[in-house]
Amino acid sequence: MNYQPSLPEYNDNVSHQQPLREFFVLMAGVVVFVLIGYWALGLVVDVAVDDLSPEQEAKLFPTLGIDWDVGEESMPQEQAKLQHLVEALNPCLSLPYPITVSLVKSDAVNAMALPGGKMVVFSGLLDAVSSTNGLMFVLAHELGHFKNRDHLRLMGRGLVLSILAMLAFGGDSGISDILASTINLRTAKYSQTRESQADHTALQALQCQFGHVGGATELFESLQSQETGHEFGFSHYFASHPELQQRIDDLHKFAQELGYAEKDPQKLIR
Amino acid sequence: MESLTIFLVLVALGFVFGKLAESRHYRSIHAREEMLVRLPTTSCKNPMGNNSPIIHAELVHGHVVISVDYFKQILAGLRSLFGGTIQSYETLLDRARREAMLRMKERCPTADQILNLRIETSSISKGENGDRIGSVEVLAYGTAIYFQQTSPPHP
Repeated sequence: MNYQPSLPEYNDNVSHQQPLREFFVLMAGVVVFVLIGYWALGLVVDVAVDDLSPEQEAKLFPTLGIDWDVGEESMPQEQAKLQHLVEALNPCLSLPYPITVSLVKSDAVNAMALPGGKMVVFSGLLDAVSSTNGLMFVLAHELGHFKNRDHLRLMGRGLVLSILAMLAFGGDSGISDILASTINLRTAKYSQTRESQADHTALQALQCQFGHVGGATELFESLQSQETGHEFGFSHYFASHPELQQRIDDLHKFAQELGYAEKDPQKLIR
Repeated sequence: MESLTIFLVLVALGFVFGKLAESRHYRSIHAREEMLVRLPTTSCKNPMGNNSPIIHAELVHGHVVISVDYFKQILAGLRSLFGGTIQSYETLLDRARREAMLRMKERCPTADQILNLRIETSSISKGENGDRIGSVEVLAYGTAIYFQQTSPPHP
C-alpha cells in the first residue's frame, strides 16, 4: 500500500452559503413571527378590555394598589379648577365613571390617562395654553382616551410585550433588542391611531361644550413654535403621537367635514 | 433606537472582522497543510505500510482556542429559534480542528507517521446568558513514530 499525500479539493465540512443571506432571512422570519404574535395578543387585549366593564375597572385598579408615582400635587386651587372643567365636559362625553384629576407640578407639557379613572395633568400644560378652549381640548383628549379605553389597551399591550420579551429571552440580548425596536414601531403606529381618535373625540366634545371648535389646535401650535429645527427623518415612525402639523391639519379637516365653526377662544383666567 | 443602532453596529463589526480573520486563517491553514501533507496521520493503532522497526515514539499534541464573533453568535441564536444546521459555527469548528492538527504536526516535522489520532472538542464559555463569551477549544493528539532507516530520532 502506497501512501499518496494529497489534500481534499473541496471542503465538505462547511456550508458554502452566504451567511449574510441566512442572517437576513432568519431575521425577517423572527420579525414577521413576532409581529403576528403581538398583533394577535393585541386583539386578545382588545377583547379583554371591551369585556371589562367600567365598574369592574374602577373596582379592580385601586385594589391592585399600584402607585402611579407621577409627582407631588401641590396646587389644590388649580387642581380644583381643572376638576371642575373635567366635570363640565362630562355631559358632552358621557363617561361611564367619574374622573379624578391630579395636577402635578412639572415643566412637562403633558397629561396622562391612568387606569382607574385617574387623570394626571402636568402644570407645564397650563402655561402652554392661553385659552379655556385650548385647555378643555387637552382635557377632552384625555377623557377621550378614557372613553375609548385606550389607557387599558396600551397598558395591556405593554404588559403583553414585557411578558413576551421575558419569556423568550430572559433578559437583554441582541435579539431581544431588535425585537423591542420592531414592536416599538408597531406600538407607536397603534398608539398614533388611538391618539388621533382621541383628538376627534375631543373635537366633538369641544363643539358640544362651546358650539364652536376655536382653540382646539392651540396647544399643538404653541408646541410647534417651541420646536427648534427638525429631528432626523424617520423619528416619527417611533413616536407614540402623530407629528404636530399632521395633528393640526387632521383636526382642521375633521372640523370641516363635520361643519364645525372656529371662533375666538375664551381667555384662560388663572 | 440606540440599542438597535448598537446592535447593528456590533453585528456589522462582527461580520467584517470575523470575515477578515477567517479568510486570513484559512489562507494560513491551506499553506501549512500543503507543507505538512507528507506526514501521514491516521487513527489506526498500527503503522501503515512500512514494517521497519520503530526506533522512537512520542506523544504529540496540538490545541487551539478560537472565539466566535458577534455576527456568528447572533446567527446561531436565530438559527436556534428555527432549528436546522448552524452553518455559522461550521467554519469555526473546521478551522479549529485543522489548526489543532497542524500544530500537532508542527511539533514533529521529522516524524514518519502519526498514529492513533484523537480529536477532542470543548466549549469555553463564561458569564451569564446575555454576555457570554463563546469560544471553542480543539485538542488533537496522537503518537508520532520514527522508523529506523528513514530519519534520525527526534532530539
